[in-house]
Amino acid sequence: MRLRDNNKEDIVKQKAIEMLVNQGIEGFGMNRLAKESGVSVATLYIYYADKEDLIKKIAIEIGRNFFSAMLKDFSPEMPFVQGLRQQWENRARFMMENMDEVACWEVLQNSSYSDYIVQETFKDFKTIMMDFFQNAVERKEMIHVSKDVFWSIAYGPLYSLLRFHQKGKSMGGAPFSLTAEVQNEAFELVIKALTP
Amino acid sequence: MEENIQNVLVFTTNIKTKRDKRKVSNVLNTNTDIIKWNIDTQDIDCVLRIVTDKLSISQIIETIKQHNFECEVLE
Repeated sequence: MRLRDNNKEDIVKQKAIEMLVNQGIEGFGMNRLAKESGVSVATLYIYYADKEDLIKKIAIEIGRNFFSAMLKDFSPEMPFVQGLRQQWENRARFMMENMDEVACWEVLQNSSYSDYIVQETFKDFKTIMMDFFQNAVERKEMIHVSKDVFWSIAYGPLYSLLRFHQKGKSMGGAPFSLTAEVQNEAFELVIKALTP
Repeated sequence: MEENIQNVLVFTTNIKTKRDKRKVSNVLNTNTDIIKWNIDTQDIDCVLRIVTDKLSISQIIETIKQHNFECEVLE
């Protein structure tokens, strides 16, 4: 009897993520993945129908992990400042702990798979974040801004800092690591900009 | 939704082109013992993957060979 080997599956997933990040979708192939993961090609095809199936499954898994991490201890009913702070914490934690996954997610977002990913993973999350935005506007906890400007101001600074953190250096090449103090300093400025 | 991996059979073939694929599509599509099948024509081994809880390896190999294609178990 053939047994599902979760350990092997995890190695395959991790290798696939690394290959997608380092070589892109074009350079990605089932044979090479099998070789790099130390499994037979047959094993790979038992788990996944083909390259497309594998990429889609990986994308969905990353997406689900990502969005469930973002919703941890969060509700769209939360007061604006508290909710946004939770979002910052959740996003920063996930991104710092899962750098490979996040890099892979970006590769896939910029590929022909992006529509599929949005459709399969994004919908519920988007609704929740829209509710949060609208509640804050209705309760007058936030100044009136368009959605896109809101997103840029609310999360842009965090993502810039996270990018520095990933590279380990900031502008001009100075060493950088995102600390709670720095994150908080930026967060306070964001709140200043977005609250009445 | 997850497939039972006991029921997945994989073969190496020489079914390479769309035209080749069309030749075997009909027989695979109409076989009610096959739950699902696909061929990765982009792969070097042109892997044929079949999900079935009834057919044996040799039955599948025979079916494919009848259509003048190579078909061996992928090791």
